[in-house]
Amino acid sequence: MAAVAPAGSWARVATALLVGCCGAALASGVQDQAEQFFKSGHTNNWAVLVCTSRFWFNYRHVANTLSVYRSVKRLGIPDSHIVLMLADDMACNPRNPKPATVFSHKNMELNVYGDDVEVDYRSYEVTVENFLRVLTGRIPPSTPRSKRLLSDDRSNILIYMTGHGGNGFLKFQDSEEITNVELADAFEQMWQKRRYNELLFIIDTCQGASMYERFYSPNIMALASSQVGEDSLSHQPDLGIGVHLMDRYTFYVLEFLEEIHPASQTNMNDLFQVCPKSLCVSTPGHRTDLFQRDPQNVLITDFFGSVRKVEITTETISLKSDLAGFESKLPKDELATEPLKYAEQLPVAQIIHQKPKQKDWHPPGGFILGLWALIIMVFFKTYGIKHMKHVF
Amino acid sequence: MAAPLVLVVLVAVTVRAVLYRSSLAAFISERVEVASPLNAWKRVVEGLALLDLGVSPYSGAVFHETPLIIYLFHFLIEYAELVFMITDVLTAVALYLAIQDFNKVVFKKQKLLIELDKYAPDVAELIRTPMEMHYIPLKVALFYLLNPYTVMSCVAKSTCAINNTVIAFFILATMKGSAFLSAVFLALATYQSLYPLTLFAPALLYLLQRQFIPIKLKSKSFWLYTMQYAALYLCSLVVIICLSFFLLNSWDFIPSVYGFILSVPDLTPNIGLFWYFFAEMFEHFSLFFVCVFQINVFFYTIPLAIKLKEHPVFFMFVQIAIISIFKSYPTVGDIALYMAFLPVWNHLYRFLRNIFILSCVLIVCSFLFPVLWHLWIYAGSANSNFYYAITLTFNIGQILLISDYFYAFLRREYYLTHGLHLTRQDGTEAMLVLK
Repeated sequence: MAAVAPAGSWARVATALLVGCCGAALASGVQDQAEQFFKSGHTNNWAVLVCTSRFWFNYRHVANTLSVYRSVKRLGIPDSHIVLMLADDMACNPRNPKPATVFSHKNMELNVYGDDVEVDYRSYEVTVENFLRVLTGRIPPSTPRSKRLLSDDRSNILIYMTGHGGNGFLKFQDSEEITNVELADAFEQMWQKRRYNELLFIIDTCQGASMYERFYSPNIMALASSQVGEDSLSHQPDLGIGVHLMDRYTFYVLEFLEEIHPASQTNMNDLFQVCPKSLCVSTPGHRTDLFQRDPQNVLITDFFGSVRKVEITTETISLKSDLAGFESKLPKDELATEPLKYAEQLPVAQIIHQKPKQKDWHPPGGFILGLWALIIMVFFKTYGIKHMKHVF
Repeated sequence: MAAPLVLVVLVAVTVRAVLYRSSLAAFISERVEVASPLNAWKRVVEGLALLDLGVSPYSGAVFHETPLIIYLFHFLIEYAELVFMITDVLTAVALYLAIQDFNKVVFKKQKLLIELDKYAPDVAELIRTPMEMHYIPLKVALFYLLNPYTVMSCVAKSTCAINNTVIAFFILATMKGSAFLSAVFLALATYQSLYPLTLFAPALLYLLQRQFIPIKLKSKSFWLYTMQYAALYLCSLVVIICLSFFLLNSWDFIPSVYGFILSVPDLTPNIGLFWYFFAEMFEHFSLFFVCVFQINVFFYTIPLAIKLKEHPVFFMFVQIAIISIFKSYPTVGDIALYMAFLPVWNHLYRFLRNIFILSCVLIVCSFLFPVLWHLWIYAGSANSNFYYAITLTFNIGQILLISDYFYAFLRREYYLTHGLHLTRQDGTEAMLVLK
């Protein structure tokens, strides 16, 4: 019996060790996942999706924006956190042979318009001014909540823009433009007002990379469908509808996003690989130098989805009603400051009796020397050397 | 002759000093007829202030003076009024001495031509005597110093007065026969406001005449002297421009001064012809018309040189007048300079045809300038067309004045050689026309 018992105990020890190892592994896996939760630092997601072109032949820009809208809604961002700006109404356009639909794939495979689209800025409301006001928050008080970007410093914002653009500008409504400098300044205003935690900027226009060249605020990642000097091309026309339905870059991004679900761990590096030059004809570009995290660690759902981070804790915290203990913890002021009289704070006497500023500029010595040498030469040439005796 | 001149100078200085201390000084310095973007005093002050702040005065289109003016006023800015009074006095004295010399030359030439029997027998009344010519230099100084245009220009402290002084010294040097000084002063005048370049031709003609070099295209001495004078002029110009580079260590002044004069970007109304045209012109054509207008200034030199090669001083007078009418930013100070010469051509009075109406036009337009400006800018019941109409009329008056004098001069020359009573072939009285 003694020989069996040790074997049994060995088995028990081995099982215990195994369980321990698995537990440790599981715990570290959980730990990884737990770390993963806290890597991003955002608590809410917003999306600003802008289509800037009007007219029927720019159908594809509306379809681009709506397909991103659809993906973003599917991955969890609610309408209250999406600002959708469409410059023209394609679904109810008189030229649409299939009213109330906007298709993204030919043969009408996918209707991105759906039943529950909420367009916040429509038609002529899509202007550069309104876009910048949405971004910076400088909105008149009468604006409804659905038209505001109520982000805070823990918001990850996705900004998607599409339309016609050029080197350094994006055309709005065929009548005005937003420049890359204005956009960069708007983002800086957002940063200074702490309106975002991280920002993903995607643009699908011709020469789109020029729009993110001027960004200088931190925590911005940018993607563009084409480099400066290249045009972004459209994907496929539908002969039934008569126009091009999507742009290439957004088409492949949409296909990529269709495979993402809220729990997927796909990261940004995969998004950068979407639509290589063989498929897109233009060279998509991206910019990550302002972004503090490694794109490898950035999940797609950090921007496209609204993955809520919930931490479940089992310990109980009791809230005391008296806060007397806090006052003693306030730091005592180290310096003994005397209260300044108002008059002493403004050095009026110094200002009144300011001496006039001395002239700081003097002509260079070489100039004066040259000028007077010339004058003396002219004088002596005219009057002759014999007059020198008057000088000496 | 010194005493009356000193008296005139004293009176002029008193008038200016009184005006400086009165409230009119501020009003006059604001007038666009007196201060143009090229020579306004507040721009000089602005440029010097920018320099004190460590910024190049040519940055921004405020300051269009040359670096030598910067150097001059850097030290003299507190005595600005005195400087401008002194420049006016210097101009008047220079003109006085120049015209004195010129009278001697005229008289000598007349004597020579009488002895050579070049004159027709019945032109005794056209011959000039020293008696009548005695007071002309004083009148010239008087005309310059007490001309309301000069007084206004001085009170407004417009640097046009400095330009006038340099041109007056140039005329004095030319009259005295010193090619070197003449070239130096002409270079200074051109350096300050490009247009005196056209005075090269009359100065050259006068100096050639003085050296008794005949003006024939095949003559070697003619070309030699021309080359010498041109070389002196160009070298002095180059030296002055290079020296100006060393003041601020930059070539900024070239586009600010010469680019500004030639391309006329500032369309503030003035008494010239450029502003209205370019205010209403399409961008597409402005380069063409700028070239046309600028060529217009330089264009009359060669035909006048051919016609007036025997009379270079008259040529100089006509040329100065053409510059002050057709330059890109004329002011009344430029007009005052050529008007100072009018007493020299006193003897042409009997041949002037329209002098009464032209002087009325000029006087009335001078009074109407501020009236219509007020109506346009302050009352709002007129528009720029009204002001431009007065500008046009004023310039037409000046042009007709010059052409009248031109006609009178040529007519007198013709009468001198062909006699006063011209008859046609059938015996009736003939009339000379300018073709």
